[in-house]
Amino acid sequence: MSSRAQELAALQRDLARLGYIAEPGLAAALLLMQDLQRPLLLEGDAGVGKTEIAKVLAALRDTRLIRLQCYEGLDAHAAMYEWNYQRQLLAIKLLEHDDRGIAQKEQDIFSERYLLKRPLLEAITSEQPPVLLIDEVDRADEAFEAYLLELLSDFQMSIPELGTVQAVSRPLVVITSNGTRELSDALRRRCLYQYVDYPDYDKELAIVRARAPEVPALLAQQIVAFVQGVRRMELQKKPGIAETLDWTAALLRLDFTVIEKDGAERILQTLGALIKTREDHVSMNREVVARLAAAC
Amino acid sequence: MEGTSLEERAGNRLAQFPTFLHANGFVVGAGAGMEVLRVAEQVGLLDRDVLRDSLRALLCGRADEWRRYNKLFDAWFLPANQWQRPEKIDSRHGFLSGEQPQGPPGAREREDETLEEIRPRQAASRQPRTSSTDFRELMQREHLLEVETLVRRFARQLRYIRMRREARARHGRRLDLPATIRRSVASGGTPFHLQWKDRRRVRPRLVLLIDVSRSMVQYSFFYLRLARALAAEMPDVHSYIFHTHITGVSQALNDPDPARAQERLHVLAEGWAGGTRIGESLAQFNREHATRVVNSRTGIVILSDGYDTGEAAVLAGTLAQLRRRARRLVWLNPLMKQPGYEPVSQGMQAALPHLDLLAPAGDLDSLKAVLPRLIEALG
Repeated sequence: MSSRAQELAALQRDLARLGYIAEPGLAAALLLMQDLQRPLLLEGDAGVGKTEIAKVLAALRDTRLIRLQCYEGLDAHAAMYEWNYQRQLLAIKLLEHDDRGIAQKEQDIFSERYLLKRPLLEAITSEQPPVLLIDEVDRADEAFEAYLLELLSDFQMSIPELGTVQAVSRPLVVITSNGTRELSDALRRRCLYQYVDYPDYDKELAIVRARAPEVPALLAQQIVAFVQGVRRMELQKKPGIAETLDWTAALLRLDFTVIEKDGAERILQTLGALIKTREDHVSMNREVVARLAAAC
Repeated sequence: MEGTSLEERAGNRLAQFPTFLHANGFVVGAGAGMEVLRVAEQVGLLDRDVLRDSLRALLCGRADEWRRYNKLFDAWFLPANQWQRPEKIDSRHGFLSGEQPQGPPGAREREDETLEEIRPRQAASRQPRTSSTDFRELMQREHLLEVETLVRRFARQLRYIRMRREARARHGRRLDLPATIRRSVASGGTPFHLQWKDRRRVRPRLVLLIDVSRSMVQYSFFYLRLARALAAEMPDVHSYIFHTHITGVSQALNDPDPARAQERLHVLAEGWAGGTRIGESLAQFNREHATRVVNSRTGIVILSDGYDTGEAAVLAGTLAQLRRRARRLVWLNPLMKQPGYEPVSQGMQAALPHLDLLAPAGDLDSLKAVLPRLIEALG
């Protein structure tokens, strides 16, 4: 076993201790991310645990997680910094009868006291390198993406009134995308890439065991088999890992100890935790549920 | 063999791996060779799986590259007898052979057919002239420019549609408070000069679903061209072609290298000019792509003649679903221009109740005529 492989195994163990089951590929990418100081771009369907990776990385490094949730119409300013202009207005009024020159007043008003740090500025000015999660970057527009590129290559930010702010520390950057918009090649090239898929049976079982250790072994196996069966169906919205865990909790709450072959009725009552659209509910009728239950 | 030369050869092999990937359709930057060496140094060469996973994170940039990577890695690094030629080049995944990209065998055999339909200039001159207004004639060389210009103008006009809801919510201009205050410092804190924010446009996303079945053969190329021009003018255009199933072509269409764009379209266009199953194709779109691509500000434009060999009920159900998901659903039908055309085909009948606009788009004039309505419908 090479030393790198040992490192990988150790990382996987640490992640598992925190309740995150990572494949060797993901662990390799996480190590590389630190070696090369590059952001990690995660793509995959909603609910496969992309955001969770950033959270667990922060927990592992025992550092802060700074999250920037992207949305349509997010502009660079809202993500970087803003001037606290209400306070500035107040200050201007208070300074009215001050004798100092305009230049000095201006300097006072545009000092760091009136600066509101938004996630990006926050992330590069933290003493201890935090984990910066840029969530669902595909929802923001191209202009923001271009801005992000600049930040990620130089790790500095220019604020016209204050000058250039250099990064105090380099955050570990995790970017997630649901693929609703094609990201630019430039961004992709700058990042390490990881495609996160729905977990297979073994991995999902491990996740359920890690996250809900109180579940009886047989029930856990049945739950995972059932969910895997549901994912193979043609649904509008496939259940993600969070849904599996929700459903597990629901079953536990209702004192299920085993999924019975003829218990379709009872299972149907809990499916709200797993199936999230009306059409999918219609297609999950009693026969289907009974068939899935019998198979697991 | 001496140790150094072995090392050198391993280094060379590694450094050229990105080139190999590039030849197989990966988007790889120029400096990738150096980066590969750096990573290899970092993780060591002894453990193949670790090296493979690490390079995978480095060199892949999108999901389809991610899926193809492992086989390409094996093909490049493992001796020939250790990997069974795994990627038997299916039509979805480009080509595999090293430095000289070649078309997949499937496409090769049918090359003569497909070539003509995809390559405008070659195909065009051989098309018989029949009607004076259909696009057939416009594929002639002298008309190409005109088509091109119109398409670009069309695309540019579409670029200026703004979503009405956005427009209404904004009463006049908006004040840029931080900037106003910055300017007010000079006048002792009294904001004499107001600073205004620019209006921001929110553009709808466009999804084009282009029918490339046999009955559409004389129009589909024009529509593809339209899609390419639109994508060049607007940032958020997604194009799909369908006949009996549906395939995304945005990436292929937008490939800056025209030769490769053509090559990629070849591969994707398998089944081009075959039968149509509109309903099933759209259902597939709904299943596989719609959750990602279609949102509440998406305008879906279907370009098809509505001749469907599938079941009309499937089409109706799918369109109803799409209509709920998207902002607007528009159907452009090239046949509508013809005198006496009525949307009586089963497919059109099933589709009608779900459409925001059904309009002719069989030639340049009708496209021009329909443009205002289209912009209104999408806006």
